[in-house]
Amino acid sequence: MAAKDHTIFSSYQRDPALFDELYDEKGEVKNIYKTLFDLYGSHSIEDYMRLNEKAKSSFFNQGITFQVYGDKDSQEKIFPFDLFPRIIDPAEWEVIEKGAIQRSRALNLFLWDIYHDKKILKQGVVPLELVSSSENYLHQMMDVDPPGGIYNHISGTDIIKHNDGKYYVLEDNIRCPSGVSYVISNRTALKRALFGVFNHYQAYTVTNYAENLLELLETVKPKGVDSPNTVVITPGMYNSAFYEHSYLAKTMGVELVEGRDLYVENDFVYMRTIKGPEKVDIIYRRIDDQFMDPLEFRSDSALGVPGLFSAYKKGNVTLANAPGTGVADDKAVYTYMPEIIKYYLDEEPILNNVHTYHCSRKEELAYVLEHIPELVVKPVDEAGGYGISIGNKLTKEEIEKVKKQIAENPRKYVAQPIMSLSVHPTYIDETNSFEQRHVDLRTFTILGKDREFVLKGGLTRVALRRGNLVVNSSQGGGSKDTWVLKH
Amino acid sequence: MSLEYRIAYKAENQYEHPVKEARWQFLICPHEEEGQKVTSFSFGNSLNFPYEVSTNAYGFTTMRILAKAEFKHISFEADFNVLKTAASPFDFDLPLDPVEDLQRYQNLHFRVEFEPFLRRTQLTTLLEQHSKFFEYRKEKTVFENLVDLNRWVFEKIFYTPGVTHVNTTLDEIVENRHGVCQDFAHLFAAVARQFGIPCRYVSGYLHQGNGYFGDSQMHAWNEAFIQDVGWIGFDPTNNILTGENHIKVAHGKDYADCAPLKGILYSKGENTTNHSVQVHGQQQQ
Repeated sequence: MAAKDHTIFSSYQRDPALFDELYDEKGEVKNIYKTLFDLYGSHSIEDYMRLNEKAKSSFFNQGITFQVYGDKDSQEKIFPFDLFPRIIDPAEWEVIEKGAIQRSRALNLFLWDIYHDKKILKQGVVPLELVSSSENYLHQMMDVDPPGGIYNHISGTDIIKHNDGKYYVLEDNIRCPSGVSYVISNRTALKRALFGVFNHYQAYTVTNYAENLLELLETVKPKGVDSPNTVVITPGMYNSAFYEHSYLAKTMGVELVEGRDLYVENDFVYMRTIKGPEKVDIIYRRIDDQFMDPLEFRSDSALGVPGLFSAYKKGNVTLANAPGTGVADDKAVYTYMPEIIKYYLDEEPILNNVHTYHCSRKEELAYVLEHIPELVVKPVDEAGGYGISIGNKLTKEEIEKVKKQIAENPRKYVAQPIMSLSVHPTYIDETNSFEQRHVDLRTFTILGKDREFVLKGGLTRVALRRGNLVVNSSQGGGSKDTWVLKH
Repeated sequence: MSLEYRIAYKAENQYEHPVKEARWQFLICPHEEEGQKVTSFSFGNSLNFPYEVSTNAYGFTTMRILAKAEFKHISFEADFNVLKTAASPFDFDLPLDPVEDLQRYQNLHFRVEFEPFLRRTQLTTLLEQHSKFFEYRKEKTVFENLVDLNRWVFEKIFYTPGVTHVNTTLDEIVENRHGVCQDFAHLFAAVARQFGIPCRYVSGYLHQGNGYFGDSQMHAWNEAFIQDVGWIGFDPTNNILTGENHIKVAHGKDYADCAPLKGILYSKGENTTNHSVQVHGQQQQ
C-alpha cells in the first residue's frame, strides 16, 4: 500500500546531509520499515494525534515521571514518548550485543586489575594519573574481592549510528545507569496504543529484564548463602529515577528500601520488617558510593547504611554495582577502551570508540583550543549531559568562555569530533507533523558469574529540539520504543 | 627493654534533644604490630549498650555501638594496656647516592604500588606558593630531607589548640601559622607527597611524660616510606622521629580515614562531645 496524500509522512522532509535510519542507501524505505511505514501511512495525522494523546495518558496512568536537577520549579514530568518505533535488524543487533558484552567484560577485568595487581598501570598502558586523579578510585576497595568477581553488574552503553552507517559507543555508564524502566513502559504504551502493528513484526520482548537481573544477581550471592534475599535501595522519592527504582523492585518481586530501613549488626545486613529483622544478602543499590555508608564515606550522608562497607568487605553482602566501579565510568577512561579491550581480552573492539582528545596532554590541548567550533567538549566527570559544549552551536563569546574553562582545568575536559547522530522520523507537537530528529541508543548489559545478558531492545533517546544532539531526558529528550527483530 | 603503658580514653556526649537511635564507631584501639602489643583491653559505656568489633577499610580495629533507646547523655570509657619494645629509629644505613635515591621514587611500578599515599586529598592539598618555602636539597638523601621537613613543619606552625577545626584548609593554617597535631601531620604529608614520597597520616596516643606537645586528646603524626627500609615515623608536632612514646592506632591518607569517633544520630538539635586521653607509662625490664 502506498502512502496516501496528506497522511502522516506526506510532509516528511528529508535533509540529505543527515543519516535517516528509515531509508537505505538508494533512498528507498528500508525493507524492515516498509510494513510499518505503510501501516502508519494509511492513517491521517488526526488519527495519529488521537493515538498520541492515548499514549501520553498511558504514561500518566503508569505513573512514569522524572525530575530535572537544577530546575527551581522542579516537578515531575512525563518523559516524552514517540509512537514511531525504531527497528534494528537481527544482524546489526548481533554486533551491538557482542560489542556491549565485550566492553562490559573488559571493564570488569580492568576494575579487578586496578583494585588488585594494577598490571595495566604498571605497564603504562593506561596512565596512572588517569585513575589516581579520579575521586571514584576508592582505596577502600583495594584487594577487596567482590562476590563472584563482578564489579559492573549493570552497564548502560550509549551507542550512536554515525553518518558512515557504523555504530559508535559514546559512553559506558557503570555507576547507576538508569532508563531501563522506560524501555519497558515504552513497549507497554505502544502496545496499548497500536496493538495491531505487533502482528506484523516478530520483535523480542523487553519485559524479561527484571527476571534476568534478579537471576544474574543471584549468581554472585555471598558465599554460604542458599536462597539469597535481594533488595533495591533508593535515595528516596525525590530522586529523579525513583520511578525506576520502585518499578525494578516491584517487577523483581523484592523489597524497595531506603538507608534507614537497613542496619548492620556484626557485619551482616538486616532489613527492619514488622515481623522483625530479616537478613539481606544482595543489594541492588541506586545510591552513589560516597553516600553508601556514613561510617566509611561521607559522614553527612543520611541516605546510606552505617557499617554497610565493612559487611561488604567481609563478603557478607553483594553490592551491585560494586563500590569503586565509577572510576571506569570516567570519560577519560573511555578514551582508552580500545587499549583496555585489547589488553584483557586480546580482541579487537567490536564497537567503535569516538576519537578523543585529552586536554591533559599538551599537544592535544593546543589542538582543542584551536578547533573548538568543530568539537564537542565534555567534562570528564559529569553525567546526564551536563556541561557539554557543542562547538558549531556556540557564539564567539561562548567559544572564548569554553576555552577559558578548559585552560583553567585541562584535566577536567576531553573533546571529540562532532559526531553526526542518525535521525529518525519523530512526531513533533508544535508542527503536527513528522520531522527528522537525532537518536541514540542505550543498551543494558548485565554481568553475572560466567553469564551475561543484554536486553534485546534498549532505550532509543530522541533529541526533540531541532538540530539538538543531546538526547538525555534531563536536557529535553524523548524516547522511542526499540524493536530488535527475531529474523 | 620494654615499656608498659596504660591508656584511658573517655568521651562524653550531651544532646539538646533526646536521641532515639544512634550508632558510633570508635577507632581508638592500639594497633598490634611489631614492637607494640595490646596486653589488656576494656570498653564500656554509661548506658550499657553492647558493642561489636569490626575493621575499617584499612584493616584497623573498630568498635561499634548501636543504641536503640531514648537518652540525652552518654559517656564511653576504654582502657588499654600496651607493651612497647623500644627500637632505635636510626637503625638503618642511608643510601650512598642521593640522586639515585630520589630517582627510585619516580619509578612507575613504585608509584602505582604506593598511589594511595601519594595522592592529594582535600585535607592535604596545598597551594604551591605555600610549599615552595620548603626546599628539597638534592645533595641530601630522601630521609635527610624528611628530617628537614619535620623541622620545617615544626617551625612553621605554632602549636595552638582551639584555633583550627576539621574544615580549616591547609592553606589557611600555613597563612595563620597556628594549629594542632592534625594540622602538622597534614602539612608534612602534603609536602612529602609533592616530592613523590609516599606518606601516611597516623593517629595514635602520645606519652607526654617527656614534655612533648600533644594534647589531652589523640595525637597525630606521619609515616613516610624510605627505600630498602620501610615506613618510618616522623612527628612534626614535636620535631622528632617516633619512638617508644608513640602508640599507633591507625593510618590512612588523612584525618578523614582516621577519625577516632564517628557518630550517626537520628536526632535534631545541638550536641557536644568531650574527649580526654590519659597515657601513663612505666618502664619494665
